[in-house]
Amino acid sequence: MTMLLAAPALLLIAVVFGWPMLRYAWLSFHADSVLTGLEPVANGGANWLRLVADQRFWLDAGQTARFALISVGLELLLAMAIALLLHQRWRGRGAVRALTLLPWALPTTMMALGWRWIFNTPYGPIEVLVRSLGLNSLDLLSTPSITWLVTVFADVWKTTPFITLILLAGLQSIPEDLYSAFRLEGGTPLQGLRRVTLPLLLPYILLSLLFRLAQAFGVFDLVQVLTGGGPAGSTESIALYAYLNGMRFLDFGYSATVMLAGFLLLTALILAGTLLLRSCGLLRPLDR
Amino acid sequence: MTDKPMTRGSMTRRTFWIALLMVWSLGPMLWQLVSSFTTADALVNDQLSFWSRWTLNNYRDLLTTDPPFWRYLFNSSFVASLTTLLTLMFAIPAAYGMAKLPDRWRGSLRAAVVGAALFPYVLLFLALLELARTFALGNNLIAIAIPYSALSMPLALLLLTAAFEALPNDLEDAAKLEGLSLWQRLRWVLLPLIAPASASTAILVFLFAWNEYPVALTWLSRSDLLTLPVAMARIAGSSTYSVPYGTYAAATVLGAIPLLVLVLVFQRQIVSGLTNGSIKG
Repeated sequence: MTMLLAAPALLLIAVVFGWPMLRYAWLSFHADSVLTGLEPVANGGANWLRLVADQRFWLDAGQTARFALISVGLELLLAMAIALLLHQRWRGRGAVRALTLLPWALPTTMMALGWRWIFNTPYGPIEVLVRSLGLNSLDLLSTPSITWLVTVFADVWKTTPFITLILLAGLQSIPEDLYSAFRLEGGTPLQGLRRVTLPLLLPYILLSLLFRLAQAFGVFDLVQVLTGGGPAGSTESIALYAYLNGMRFLDFGYSATVMLAGFLLLTALILAGTLLLRSCGLLRPLDR
Repeated sequence: MTDKPMTRGSMTRRTFWIALLMVWSLGPMLWQLVSSFTTADALVNDQLSFWSRWTLNNYRDLLTTDPPFWRYLFNSSFVASLTTLLTLMFAIPAAYGMAKLPDRWRGSLRAAVVGAALFPYVLLFLALLELARTFALGNNLIAIAIPYSALSMPLALLLLTAAFEALPNDLEDAAKLEGLSLWQRLRWVLLPLIAPASASTAILVFLFAWNEYPVALTWLSRSDLLTLPVAMARIAGSSTYSVPYGTYAAATVLGAIPLLVLVLVFQRQIVSGLTNGSIKG
């Protein structure tokens, strides 16, 4: 009886999350593009062979992993600092916490174009500042070695509040007594951070890390609007490449292959990360 | 850590960090606000005198385009409200059902739901688009609430299941003894008790639907049906050579106001939703 109550919602999840994966698995062994009149025609493993040899895909995979690892790493450091600040008691803390949430609540596409204006050459404020200091123009949005850092910056700005909240909840779960006891034994605040706070915060850190890595690996809105994947493809992500294959080149078979491969790579990345953490003994407190 | 008396120096230092945090969080939006009141000339010419830089034209332009900007705000509000309603209608009974399942079922079911919640859903867009074409669901603001509900269902289930599990069993047993049916127990006993969790879920689902981009981008193409995120991106794409930044900045300001209000009013629900969703889930 109770299972019947859960059935409609679970069915909806199965259709929207499960069906696409099955469909992609099937499509990835078919040619389905303008060349086949947009009808699926079985083509053996041709899509997968093409993927293995597709330099653009592997470049995008590397760029996506780089984006995800570096933004999430920076977000975690920054969120840790902000959470420690917000955990202290001071007047107006609630209002400040609410206002810091705002970047997280805004649509990504909306701020993406805002960033395009702010980082614009030659009229954006950053560029004006750089020139007034007598430095050379940075060309932030048209230099392949720099522009990906702009996307990292925009992502850090938007999603740090999310991690901050999780870490803040973790900090609030640590009993004050532990700190008092630690101080009585002559520990300094910095040692307290290392020996009390961080170990107890670890589950929260790992959780936000896992969630954010998965989301950042699927980065799409931000790069599609802010850079369009450019300059010279330097900010193109796997999701954007799959989107272009499907919607611009109308090659659905290959688009499905790219998305499935992206999903497999992400799973592999998360598994490798888990194994690495386990071998360092970092996951032991969670196994209880 | 907090009850130590602070020296004047460390107080000043803290004020400095708080100010920096505010500049970091709000600075870019304040820049958009200033830009939205700046004339197109002044945006590209810093030699203009202070008094000739300001205008309300950007806002006037926004409200006189076809379709006018408020149309996108309306579309987004409509889709987000419908999604929230639909999600709660499905998720509340489902969460109750999941909370009552025997432990060994519940564990694996929860693992699957957590997996779905983690999944970068943008990878689903192609298959979802196919479904939209097969069932003629494109360009329909009511139909798009279906994938939106499904996409926010995992988080909603995690939050609400945790809320039901936290309720004492005695309460429901007592209601059963009184002869209340399942529906009556849900409606009069359990629902009021999980109201805080429902509110958290509702606001998070609403924000998701309000901000969603890839599905809206592929399902909606008629310009009078666009939601805010797609309309914003389209302004960016339509004029590759000269994006009307003043008008665009005004659009960001108008688009941000509803969210500003939501975040300030529902701060508590958002915080408890995000933290419970990740910790108990």
